[in-house]
Amino acid sequence: MAKTALITGITGQDGSYLAEFLLKKGYRVVGVTRRTSTSNYDRIKDIVDEIELVQGDLMDQNSLVYAIRDAQPDEVYNLAAQSFVPTSWNQPVLTGEFTALGVTRMLEAMRLTKPDAKFYQASSSEMFGKVRETPQNENTPFYPRSPYGVAKVYGHWITVNYRESYNLFAVSGILFNHESPRRGLEFVTRKISYAVARIKLGKQNKLQLGNPDARRDWGYVPDYVEAMWLMLQQDKPQDFVIGTGEAHSVKEFIEAAFAAAGIPGWQTYVEFKTPKDMRPAEVDYLIADSSQARQVLGWKPKTGFRELVRIMVEADLKREKNSA
Amino acid sequence: MKRTALITGITGQDGSYLAELLLEKNYRVIGLVSQKYNIGWQNVEQIKDKLVIEDGDLLARESLERVIKKYRPEEIYNLAGLTFVPASWDQPTLTFDINTLGVSRILEIIKDHSPQSRFYQASSAKILAESQDPYSISKAAAHGLVKALRKQFNLFACAGIMYNHESVRRGPEFVTRKITLAATKIKLGLEKTLALGNLDAKQDWGYAPDYVEAMWLMLKLDQPKDFVIGTGQLHSVRDICQIAFSHLGLNYQDFVTIDQALVRPAEVNPPVGDASEAKKTLGWQPKTSFKEMIIKMVEHDLKELQHG
Repeated sequence: MAKTALITGITGQDGSYLAEFLLKKGYRVVGVTRRTSTSNYDRIKDIVDEIELVQGDLMDQNSLVYAIRDAQPDEVYNLAAQSFVPTSWNQPVLTGEFTALGVTRMLEAMRLTKPDAKFYQASSSEMFGKVRETPQNENTPFYPRSPYGVAKVYGHWITVNYRESYNLFAVSGILFNHESPRRGLEFVTRKISYAVARIKLGKQNKLQLGNPDARRDWGYVPDYVEAMWLMLQQDKPQDFVIGTGEAHSVKEFIEAAFAAAGIPGWQTYVEFKTPKDMRPAEVDYLIADSSQARQVLGWKPKTGFRELVRIMVEADLKREKNSA
Repeated sequence: MKRTALITGITGQDGSYLAELLLEKNYRVIGLVSQKYNIGWQNVEQIKDKLVIEDGDLLARESLERVIKKYRPEEIYNLAGLTFVPASWDQPTLTFDINTLGVSRILEIIKDHSPQSRFYQASSAKILAESQDPYSISKAAAHGLVKALRKQFNLFACAGIMYNHESVRRGPEFVTRKITLAATKIKLGLEKTLALGNLDAKQDWGYAPDYVEAMWLMLKLDQPKDFVIGTGQLHSVRDICQIAFSHLGLNYQDFVTIDQALVRPAEVNPPVGDASEAKKTLGWQPKTSFKEMIIKMVEHDLKELQHG
């Protein structure tokens, strides 16, 4: 019989790729969405007929109980969150409600209605923030630097706590930045690939960015959703750090993007300025040590940095060519 | 100086029409959305460059306080909410948290930080109905709060008790749009039949762009006052089918089937909006007839389906 997976955040970047991945593996996929009169289904428009959507909200305990009780999932992926770090300073309480307490509500719903399901919590490298050691592994202490990071630390520990207290198969994947053509335009990688495509097509001629020297460990989402799935196929629940182990600067991303589009002399187009959405507190040098994932899960990233940049630029070129 | 208006629910049907009206009247329009980087833009696509979009959520008091203190808007229109009645049975707690407590959160902030702001609450004619659902009760409680806080704290807060109002931006789960979409798809050969419940169920259906004008007019009065907004006419589900299908050169009886699962008991005396007070005091009356509205919706759906 086909396995059933329940995904929160299915309309987001990771959720949409994970849904596609699980459909290919023959899963029945149930997505939890918040009810709004105008939904953003762009990322799942190609698979919307193959999945089931149920209403639920991480703010609303009962809706989650019903969703899990009715779907009877074998695997639960909690990917929903208020995920843009700068926004978390504008909405710190809501971020806590949604991104932190929402995890407890999901775990409670699962414990009460389907305790034998396997639970994946989307944790984040933002939990390392002001890093205690480099690179970061599963034992590196957390030091979050934003309300988002703090909320994610809560989500991580409550997942561990439910595993140890109730003997649930609940794991936390500490994923470093992961990008794709479905990344929102507010994130720096997509902002660059989008602008480069538009510059190439003569639709704009300037790109304004913040700190060119900020460095991140950037991977490709389809590789990362496979790691999520692998974590739930193990005999024992265990948390993993997932990343490429390579850090690149914003400047390198820009260079690679302009090169991928075949535009020489990127300096003519790019201006560095302190952004409006400046983080009150920056995170440090984030770089993943995912040797445990390599050993136990047999997982490693398949897509290199330049390849990732090329995929993003080409997707934006295609999209922008087709739009007026 | 430009007047500033804050709209919650700006990406919805009413919010987007109201934003267009206020932009025409040269307002600075601030739209509150729960996640500004992940919203359905379809209704505000044409005007999005003219709007100021802010993150905020009726569930999060601090986000409302931040935005209201930042702009101290002359007018605040609270149009956000969980609005689909059947869904309120699945999420009664959330329905109350958003539809009722959301209103008290905004009113408290107005009282403490921006008492000169004028506040419009989207009340619903469903608050007058006899048998109620969590949606209607949440709206009735919000309506009561607006009246009570207005009196106690001398706020300019008022509510429009609006009957159903439809448009091309109505969600496909509502019966008017469900019919115009299905009729169009049948015309284009994309679907064969349309299953409906009770064809004789009657409602007072108006046109949303007419109704948002009433909201704006209400905030122009010297004293805050609540108004009933409706067309005063009842039409049946059958009327919608008749107009929609015949506009496409089809006979609805050839395509509409009755699904017992969708049948709900018809109300003996369906409520009908008496907007005579609005006509007298606001000079407001509906401009668009029922038939014109359904035809507009059909033509929109036809154009959209033909051209993607």
